[in-house]
Amino acid sequence: MHKLSNKARIAIFIVLGFVIFLISNRVDELRVYQGATVAVYVVGIASIILLTGYSGQVSLGQGALLGVGGYAAALARLHWGVSVPVSFAIAILAAAAAGALLGVAAARLSGPYLAGTTLALAVGLPSIANQFTFLGGEQGLFYDVGFPPASLGEDFTQYKWFFWIAALATLLAIFWLQNVMRSRYGRTWKAIRGSDIAAELAGINIARVKILAFTLSAGVAGLAGALLAMTIGTVSPSAFPLALSFSLLTGAVLSGVTTLGGVMIGAVTLVAIPEIVHSVVDRIGASEAVATNLPSLIVSALLIVTVIFVPNGPVEQMRTKSKKVKSL
Amino acid sequence: MFQFINTLLIGITSGAIYALMALAIVLVWRSTRVINFAQAGQALASTYFGYQALQYIDSFWIALIIAMAGGAILSALIEVIFMRILLKHTTSGAIAGVAPIIATLGLLEIIRTLVTLKWGGADVIVKAPLSNTGFSIGSNTLVFSPMKLAIIAVVTVLLLVFSVIFQKTSIGLSLRASAFSPELARLAGIRVDRIRTLGWAFSGATGAVAGLLLVTNGNGSLSPASLEFSLLLISGFIAAVIGGLESLLGSVVGGVALGIITAFVLMYISDSLFFIAPFVVLLLVLFIRPQGVLGKKGGRRA
Repeated sequence: MHKLSNKARIAIFIVLGFVIFLISNRVDELRVYQGATVAVYVVGIASIILLTGYSGQVSLGQGALLGVGGYAAALARLHWGVSVPVSFAIAILAAAAAGALLGVAAARLSGPYLAGTTLALAVGLPSIANQFTFLGGEQGLFYDVGFPPASLGEDFTQYKWFFWIAALATLLAIFWLQNVMRSRYGRTWKAIRGSDIAAELAGINIARVKILAFTLSAGVAGLAGALLAMTIGTVSPSAFPLALSFSLLTGAVLSGVTTLGGVMIGAVTLVAIPEIVHSVVDRIGASEAVATNLPSLIVSALLIVTVIFVPNGPVEQMRTKSKKVKSL
Repeated sequence: MFQFINTLLIGITSGAIYALMALAIVLVWRSTRVINFAQAGQALASTYFGYQALQYIDSFWIALIIAMAGGAILSALIEVIFMRILLKHTTSGAIAGVAPIIATLGLLEIIRTLVTLKWGGADVIVKAPLSNTGFSIGSNTLVFSPMKLAIIAVVTVLLLVFSVIFQKTSIGLSLRASAFSPELARLAGIRVDRIRTLGWAFSGATGAVAGLLLVTNGNGSLSPASLEFSLLLISGFIAAVIGGLESLLGSVVGGVALGIITAFVLMYISDSLFFIAPFVVLLLVLFIRPQGVLGKKGGRRA
């Protein structure tokens, strides 16, 4: 993918968008909703790939940044009555601002310290929302993107509208992320990930670059948060639990954190596994408790197996293999 | 004055529990150089072991010992079956540094799910062995209760046992040597792998006590989805960071300090700062003294 020109990439994304559009007209309501969820996960996972895969920092609290984005979008729409795209932009900016603050702290922290600090944030931030009345407490706030425009026809459903918005936002976000990663900054991050000492000797201001990575990643996470809020219809502490942070991290590891190429793998896995488990469980007639808990068991086991055997993700693994074959 | 003492005692009690969790984290960090986030799950599982034991026997204290044994075995198994393979495989690659952390999170989810499958998602009650009604002095009733006193006593005894093991026995010497330098310890004839497993077992037992005491210090209700265990993990981590992440004494000091600070903030400033207070403490320590309050300079490792 690295050798493609910009024009070719734009063309690919347009074709991709058209294919998604065609698919959305063919499948049923539930699949369309799941498609929107996949889109949310894709954006969330991409934000982790940008951070962990490219700048080598780890955030266990990405769910908290999604929360910042979701709440910002909901507040802006409730109080200022802004349009949906503007509320998305506000979500991105608010989360990016939070990410910049976090990044200033993160740039001074290494490995376990950063992991623990971001984990603390993921545990605590949702409960903070309970403390302030303007955030709506446990019920949260409504976030309504409105009905699909009438021009799309009578039988155009709400879920399809969600899906269109999410898919378009996701395509734009991924396109932009690819641009960033191919830019000077992307190369700088890779250099730091490789060896921060070498990067520093090459004249890179590590702290500044790391903070920038955190800020951009948080902005993308904020967009994911706004999209998530859209699909649920509300923002509340329970919409952004610790489990969300874990899911996104798992998705990122399954996708392979070093490249955006596999981002769909993690997102689809996260959505598909509960679905598959449910249908299998229905067939063999296991108990309800098994049906609800088995997916997270399988996903976590996949996470561990991936970390141990394919730490760089399936896409990178295949690339290295094909390179080896070519060199023979 | 009365309120002051009351707050102090509450702070010391919860601080003692944080200290145990910090100790569990530090024991693993010293032996394996991994922050074991699965410890929250291990403590949860061990607490359920104790709950299960209480269904058959009456004594809370025997149940506590059973929970400790269960926690130790679980922890040792995790190290042998899982951490060894993990650390062997993730020596290079882009996420080598963060892979063990991510893996312990996966483990946390697995343990939590298994606990839910075994004991169900609903709340169960672990009955406190002693009264949780406070002592009264004259007409005033303290929040400090016999149960809280017992918690402090248990933590103190455990710490004394630990310090005897670490300072006076040859096992303790091996543990300290392996933590200081695994290569040198191996050359000196210490079976570092076994010692590492032992460190994990100690950590598991400590986490078990922290879990059971946490539940009995509260209202006794226990559920797999409870946020309390995540908060315990975070508090333990913060306490360990305050103590410098290397020192056992430091983590105890860190735990008690964190407990007291949190209790005073909640009492005198606002009780809505329940989460924010520890987080601010964490950030302050990381910015002002990243090596920990008791840590030595250069003690902070990647």
